[in-house]
Formats: sequence, C-alpha cells, structure tokens
Amino acid sequence: MALAIEASGLVRTFGPLRALDGLDLEVREGELIGLVGPNGAGKTTFIRVLAGLLGLDAGIARVLGEPPGRAVSPSIGYMTQSPALYEDLPVRDNLVFFGRLFGLSTAEARSRAGELAELVSLEGKERSPVRTLSGGMRQRTNLACAMVHHPRLLLLDEPTVGVDPVLRMRLWDHFRAMNHEGITILITTHVMDEAERCTRVAFLSDGRTIASGPPAELRERAGAPTLEDAFLALRDSGAEP
Amino acid sequence: MSGRRILAIAGRILRQFRHDPRSVALIFVVPVMVMALVGYLVGDSGKEPLPVAIADQDSGTAGPVAIGATLAGALERQAGVEMQDARDAEEAERRVHDGEAAGAIVIPAGLTQSLLEGQPAQITVIVGGIEPGLDDRVIGAVRLGMVEVIAAAAESGAALPQVSVERVPLAGGAELSTLDYYAPALVVVFGFLFTFMLTSVAFLRERSTGTLERLMASPASRLDLLLGYLLGFIGFAMIQALVILGYAVWILGVHIAGPPWLVLLTLVILVIGVVNLGIALSFYARNELQVVQFIPLIFVPQIFLGGLFWPVQTLWTPLRLLSQVFPVTHAVVTLREVMVGGAAVAEVAERLLALVAFAVAMLLLGLLALRSQRA
Repeated sequence: MALAIEASGLVRTFGPLRALDGLDLEVREGELIGLVGPNGAGKTTFIRVLAGLLGLDAGIARVLGEPPGRAVSPSIGYMTQSPALYEDLPVRDNLVFFGRLFGLSTAEARSRAGELAELVSLEGKERSPVRTLSGGMRQRTNLACAMVHHPRLLLLDEPTVGVDPVLRMRLWDHFRAMNHEGITILITTHVMDEAERCTRVAFLSDGRTIASGPPAELRERAGAPTLEDAFLALRDSGAEP
Repeated sequence: MSGRRILAIAGRILRQFRHDPRSVALIFVVPVMVMALVGYLVGDSGKEPLPVAIADQDSGTAGPVAIGATLAGALERQAGVEMQDARDAEEAERRVHDGEAAGAIVIPAGLTQSLLEGQPAQITVIVGGIEPGLDDRVIGAVRLGMVEVIAAAAESGAALPQVSVERVPLAGGAELSTLDYYAPALVVVFGFLFTFMLTSVAFLRERSTGTLERLMASPASRLDLLLGYLLGFIGFAMIQALVILGYAVWILGVHIAGPPWLVLLTLVILVIGVVNLGIALSFYARNELQVVQFIPLIFVPQIFLGGLFWPVQTLWTPLRLLSQVFPVTHAVVTLREVMVGGAAVAEVAERLLALVAFAVAMLLLGLLALRSQRA
C-alpha cells in the first residue's frame, strides 16, 4: 500500500521551544491512525505542517507523495480543533463555499452539501445560521466542511474536544465509516479510549514519536493493561519507535 | 454594595490596561495628535503662503491713491499670500487653471482714474471654484488688501474709493450650493471609513475564528484570497457609493458636472487600496477593539490634512508632502474636480495614478501580511 504520509526527522522550533524534535512517522493509505500524546507533544504542530500551514526547520515531509502545500491540498481535508466556520452563514452556505474553494462547481457543491448534512445528521438544519447551532452541531458542520471535496486524507485535530459522549460516539462512527470507504485518517487525541478505536496509534512526546503500532501491540509491548499505562511506560523507558 | 468587590473590578480593569500597552499608548497619543493638528490648522503660524497672481493693468497713475499699486503692495505684505506678477488677465487665469496660483487678481486699466472721477470700479478675483476653503482665503486676502487701499485713500484726503470685488470661479458657480462642494468629500469619507472598518473586522474574524487557517490549507492562493476580498468589497462599496450619490443627486440636488463613471472609477481605485490596507492592518490587531483604535490613527490625519476643510496648499511643507501619501487627498481632489469642475479623465489622470500607486502598494502589503500566516 502506498504511503499517505512520510515524515522523517521533522524539526520545527518556535523561539526556544522545539515543538517537533526529529519526528519520524509513516502512514499507509487507508489507515486510521491516532496521534496520542500530552499537551505540547507536537500533535497540532505536526498536523499543521502536513496541512501546509507551517514550514519546517529541518527534516522531510511528504503527503500523498508530494511536499505539503497547495499542490496536494485538494486531496486533504483539514479539520481544525475548534469549529472554523462562518457563523452568520447557514450550514449549507458554509459547505457550498468550502466546496467551491476546493474546485467543485456550484451544483456539485450544493448536491454534496445535501449528502453531508445527512451523513453528519444535520438534516433540517441546512438553512440555519451556524451561530444558532449547538456546540455539537457546529463540530459536525466543521467535520462536514473538511470532507466536502472528497479528500483522500483527513487530518483531524482533536475533533472530539468538548464534545459530549453521545456525539463523540457518533463522530467516531463517521470516522470509521469514512475509513472503510478508503479515506486515510490521521486524528490527534489525548483520550486513550479514542485511541483504542484506531487501526494504529503513534505515541508522541516532546516532539518525537516514541512508539507506534496497533493499540493491542503497544499494550503488549509495554506489558501494560491500558494504552495510558503503555504510553507512560514507553515514554519513561525512552523507547524507540 | 461591596467596596471590596468594586475595588476588585477597578483593579482588574487597570491590570488589563497594564497588559495592553498599545491601547494605553493610543489613549494618550491619539488625543495629543488630534489636538496638535487642530491647533496647527486653526492657528495662523506655520502656514505656507498661497501663490496669487496679479495682473495690474492700472498703470500710469502715481501717488498713494494708485489703487493697483497700493493693493499689490498691501497683498505683498500679507504673510498668507505670495504674489506673482502676470502679464495680463489671460495669463492670470491660465495660472489659476493650471494650478500654479490659488487665485488671480485682475486690476483693470484706468481703475484709479475712474475712482478719481468718482466712478465706481470693480476688481476681478479669479478663483478655482472647486475648493471653497481655498477660494475664501484668496478673497479674504483681497478684502484685507482693500482695507489698506481705503485707509491710504482716506489718509491722502481723497474720496473713499468705491471698489467692488467680483469673484469669478473657473468652475462651479452661483447655481452650486455648499453641499455641492462637500458632497465629493463625503462620498470619499464614507467609502474609506466603512470599507476600512468592514474589511479589517472581516479579516480579523477570519483569523480569530480559524477560517483563515482553513482557507490557507485549501488550494486557494493568497492572491485568490485578496482578489476575492477585493471583488466582494468593491461590489459592496459601489452599491454604497451609488446609494450616497443617488441620494445626493436626486434628493439633495447635488450636481455632477463631469462623467459619473469617473466618480465610480475613482471610488473603485480608492476601495482597492483601502481593502488591502484593512487586511494588512488587521494582522496587527488581536480583537475588534484594537481595529477600532486604528481608525483615529489612520483616518483623522487624512481628514485634517487631506484638503477636506483646510487647503493642502497652505500646509507646512512636510505636512503637505505627507498629505500627498494619503489616498483621501487624491480622491477628494479628483471627485471635486469631476463633480464640481466637470473634469474629464485626462485632467485628473495624475491623481488617479497616485490612487493606483496607493492601491498597488497596499496590495503588496496585504500579500506580505498573508505571507506571515505561513511561518
């Protein structure tokens, strides 16, 4: 299977802070990979590098075989941590706008907006301005906007932060359904329960990958009952990926 | 009521200001800047003299009652004007038309003789007719000079001369009202202010809500983004301009002597510059309050120095040069010349080019500001 993401020795600093400190990771197409680590581990910085929003100080990154940037952006769906939407516009207009931005015709974008509203259970809310929606509905609209152009790779930055357990379940249902359709998904989280749902997990700490593999394999490798314990054990042992 | 809580709230406000040094600086800098400008503009000192041409055809009569020579001498002594000799009335008028002189005085041949014979006489003052503030200064200087002429005549024991001053505007005229002269400035002010506020706040929201990040992660280039913004705001600004102009023309009876499309073209070029200025400056603001703080800093100097109320020609040279950087200056002059003076595109081409230069510079500034988004 071809590689969706190749990251080798990524370094990115912000003043004295080394947000990425030699991060290595390979993700095959069709994977649902979870990036797990505490705050400041470099998860968001890594995702922003892949989305073409941040440059690198060192290292090589490739996304779907190309360097991150505009050339590959039509194939990427990027979902920001908090909903990045036009609050005064209705759900449908947000979806149509982002669809057109990614090259869909108005008719295609409208039709896709209808499909997505159904997919993320927002039927009947298409004409409601985003500012009138609940937090959960906004987050679902946010996800729909990231998927509007049929991306091959979805970069989801902590998509379930601040979301209630019922909605979290539903969002994960969407992620799994999309993954079954062949979309590669990279998702950042620090909720271990969510990481268990991924086909593979990469533990990040201090801007480096300390381990990666299927959740069960990581638990076994660390001899730990939970992924949380596995993370702590592997981090403290200074494991190499 | 609790004194402790009140003090806690007041203390928190002061602490917030301490963490926002820019707002604190603006609170002190802006009023001082405005007061300094008003003090300078309203006061008499530090002004450059206005060039005024004089065609004195009243030669051949000597003595203190030689009206032309006395008036010319009196005007020479005034600090507010700088006299230029013109050969005849035609040359004097040409100088006003070409902008070499702010006004021209034509003293007809035989004026003194007519007065000595007890006949009433007339002095013609040619003014541009486009900028009332400028014209009033020239007329005021002539009237002040006439006071000296009358005083000189009284001193010499001659009969008091009955001289009237005829104001001849090259553009405009009696059918125009005060509103006709200020309508161009109002259109520019609204166009600039609302476009600047809307663009800077809209772009600030793009940043604060994260949609800018989403746009930057899309295939849209920075230029796509800027041009999209431009097109949207130009459309909006044009509707606004049409509403203002429509109301001014059909309801208030304001005249547009020149081609109306030229008025709209001027506004389009102005808006292109202002949209990009708003985008660039929004990167220096963290919230809407900070955007609002830019308004007095960016806008007030343009209102005061842009020739809306006080003529640019009389400004102290460094301030006059500064006023030439301001788009409002060029837009106001252009619209006055088109709406009041009936100017065609060739006559305002230089001003339009200045506005184009501002628009291009701001477009580059906007692109640079967007570049900083990907660090």
